[in-house]
Amino acid sequence: MMDRRLFSHVPWGLLVALALLFGIGAVNLYSASSLRLEDGLGVESYFRKQLVWGALGAGVFVAGVVVHYRHLKALAWPAYGLGVLLLLGVRFLGKTVYGAQRWLDLGPLHLQPTELVKVAIIIVVAKILSRMGGSLGWRELAKVVAVALVPAALIAKQPDLGSALNILLIVGGMIVFKGVRPAVFKTLAVGIPVLAPFGWFFLKEYQKQRILVFLDPTADPRGAGYHIIQSQIAIGSGGFWGKGFLRGTQSQLRFLPEKHTDFAFAVLGEEWGFVGSIFVLSVFCCFLYQIYLVTVEAKDDFGRCLAAGVFFYFFWQILINMGMVLGIMPVVGIPLPFLSYGGSSLLVNFCMVALVVNVAMRRFMFKR
Amino acid sequence: MERFKPSQDFPLWAGPNVLVVLCVLLFATLGVRLWYLQVVKGDVYHDKAQENRIRQRVLYAPRGVIRDALGTLVAENVPAYAVAVVREECPDINATLDQIAWWTGEDRQWLQKSFEQGKRRTKSFEEQVVVPNIPFEVVARIESERHHWPGVSVVVRPKRFYPTGSLLAHVLGYVARANDKELAQDPELLLGDNVGKLGVELALERRLRGRKGLEEFEVDATGRELGSHRLYDPVAGEDLHLALQLPLQRAGVRALAGKAGAVVVLDADTGHVLAMVSSPSYDPNEFVTGISQERWNALIDDPLHPMQNRPIQSAYPPGSVFKLVMAGAGLSTGAITPSTTVYCNGKYSVGNREYRCWRRGGHGKVDLRKSIRESCDVYYYALGERLGADAISDFARRCGLGEVTGVDLPHERSGLVPSPAWKQERFGRKWVGGDTINMSIGQGYVVTTPVQIARLVAALVNGGRVLRPLLLASDMPEEQGRLPMSDATRRLITDAMVAVVQEEGGTARVVARPGIRVGAKTGTAQVVKLMERYEKKETQEIPYKYRDHAWLAAFAEKDGRRYALVAFVEHGGHGGSEAGPVVGAMLDALFGLGEAP
Repeated sequence: MMDRRLFSHVPWGLLVALALLFGIGAVNLYSASSLRLEDGLGVESYFRKQLVWGALGAGVFVAGVVVHYRHLKALAWPAYGLGVLLLLGVRFLGKTVYGAQRWLDLGPLHLQPTELVKVAIIIVVAKILSRMGGSLGWRELAKVVAVALVPAALIAKQPDLGSALNILLIVGGMIVFKGVRPAVFKTLAVGIPVLAPFGWFFLKEYQKQRILVFLDPTADPRGAGYHIIQSQIAIGSGGFWGKGFLRGTQSQLRFLPEKHTDFAFAVLGEEWGFVGSIFVLSVFCCFLYQIYLVTVEAKDDFGRCLAAGVFFYFFWQILINMGMVLGIMPVVGIPLPFLSYGGSSLLVNFCMVALVVNVAMRRFMFKR
Repeated sequence: MERFKPSQDFPLWAGPNVLVVLCVLLFATLGVRLWYLQVVKGDVYHDKAQENRIRQRVLYAPRGVIRDALGTLVAENVPAYAVAVVREECPDINATLDQIAWWTGEDRQWLQKSFEQGKRRTKSFEEQVVVPNIPFEVVARIESERHHWPGVSVVVRPKRFYPTGSLLAHVLGYVARANDKELAQDPELLLGDNVGKLGVELALERRLRGRKGLEEFEVDATGRELGSHRLYDPVAGEDLHLALQLPLQRAGVRALAGKAGAVVVLDADTGHVLAMVSSPSYDPNEFVTGISQERWNALIDDPLHPMQNRPIQSAYPPGSVFKLVMAGAGLSTGAITPSTTVYCNGKYSVGNREYRCWRRGGHGKVDLRKSIRESCDVYYYALGERLGADAISDFARRCGLGEVTGVDLPHERSGLVPSPAWKQERFGRKWVGGDTINMSIGQGYVVTTPVQIARLVAALVNGGRVLRPLLLASDMPEEQGRLPMSDATRRLITDAMVAVVQEEGGTARVVARPGIRVGAKTGTAQVVKLMERYEKKETQEIPYKYRDHAWLAAFAEKDGRRYALVAFVEHGGHGGSEAGPVVGAMLDALFGLGEAP
């Protein structure tokens, strides 16, 4: 049964930010997908699909809010197990798109297990962390990292380095949030930067290429550097006030690749200029700040860790995607929440916000 | 149940604190980057975005064609084919160039060089011509295989063609690829444009060229066109009609065949150029497609100088033709009257020097009419002394000598009418009596071009009007001045010229034509001061380069129409015998006498 008290603790600010972001995303997608030329997909089709996904997302959202989040603890491991199984399924049965196996073809629905795995991992890690008192020692740390590494490795193998990295970054963020013992912190603060360069040998050729091109985009202006250069031209040419809705020449004339997915923000930057970009950035910041408020006011460690996990989920995606679009981070395929087109990603975003709202609404239950 | 731990329990790098710190960092980092890209560098990226999508294309205007007076095309445009590449669309430019070399049979190394050179002057996504001229068979071969080679195209551009070949070369000139200097001086010119280099093509370049149009079009990322609009429409060059008559021109070329010389025929009443021949000639079509260095050297080194436009550039002493000016000056100043006589015994003394008449035995008693008819030198020595150098010089200038005629052709020479002041200035030496004597018979420093003489003769018969020679039929007569002599004086001179043709003893009897009033004056221009050893010899016995130049200046009148005709034969020997037949041939062509041309 729903308690009436639940409604007095609804984090309205978070919901307003969510609605704003979804609205901005949909409008921007309308522009990004209205092509002047005949293209595979008709005009506005991404826009309509996004609205449908949005409706589905609202359903997921309601479902995610209704059930008390403490029940998730019980579901954590089964969800994690299912996620790993799905990833293995993709490995052997997956549909190959753009040379990568990322999708499971379930009739009309193309499921991207990676996104679901992110939810499962946040719940599992939150559960583990909430059971550990105080700061983490080496043993606790190893346990959490092991839990994250299994799916991350499978995802990296797809290959989807961006998502694998995303998962590690989310878990890393949650660990920092929980706090590690000073000795552990000091060792890691020195060790990770030293060991990171050895990761180079595990990268695929095109991934190395992306990093090299990021360092010097002009080295390959028609190939790998093209994305970075065109995206900066699109954003930069927007100037202070922007070129106006549907008037971005770089995006409308398709100089900008993948403009409806990973580079959606470049379309926005071109058409709405500095004013629009800063506005969207501010909304993202408010959105994250609202999540922060939930972690501060949550009444239990699981809830706090859960909200923190969601915070890092969004934080890294925003930082990496916008950093990439603005040319200060290498190009990795990470979408911008609510602005990039993508059904699975949108559903998971709604799901993630639902978790936070869930935590916020039930904080009274732990009142002394 | 665990208890909420207040945030102050956490170090700054852990717990809820870290979330706020990250929020601020995120906003600051991305915000600063946005500010940099959109506000600081906004204009730079705006320009880049424009370059990305807006391209311009030149719409070429067809060059005006040129016709003769009877409407025959003498300069037209025919399609020419060239192979062009768009670098950005070629997946492998080296393989593409290999293929083009195979198609056209061009040297691969040359092709590479041509490509590298053109590359610097063409923008990206612009067609770059790599082989400028290909025959139609090659076009067909390329077109059938082109779909395998993206980025390759055959471009069609109009090419100038002169159907009459060498016949009108010196009048028309030719067009050829604009050189770096021309490109730098004329902002309208683009790389690869042809421009007039000589003749009418150069002189009337502005009218013939027309104006290029400009089209702006938008492209997408693949270079595909999305639509265009014209900024300016191209304006075709003006079609020009020459006053020149091809049959007459052809007669002149035939008459001068094998000789170096010039013919000019003017309509005496309008100044229109009816024929203008320079011999030998060259084929202007060779230049249009780009002449080879060897061919060019051959033209330049030819001892007969086929590139020289003799009617306007050959400035030689007019010889006895100048006596027409002397007679006019004498009568107009009152220095002589028609009945004034001079006794010619074959020589004339000035100071301690003796000047001879061309007829060693002398002409006896000579009046004005006889002096012109028989071209007596002594008569003019005496007249020259009586007039003085300055008066002669002044009078000759007012007859239009010593200055360009302003005909629509480049590089016209002005000729020279000397004067004591000029000599002092030029050589720093004083004018002496002998200089006056020399000038009196058109020798020494005085030099004229055939077209100047033609203009002078035209003025003698058209009422004294010095007219600009006009190449275009549409141009209206343009009076540049008046001969400084009365109608009566002109009539005396022209009647004497008729006597040269009609009467016993006349030096130009070869140009007599029944039913036509023809007047003429011969001239022989000394190349070097005749050396004693050549004096008694016949023309054929003298080495070519020492032979005199032959002049014949004539007019013809029939049915109220008047013409001025001048023939000049380099190293032709005597005027009457060498230049005479040339003028005769022109008269036949002009009046439809003899064989039909």
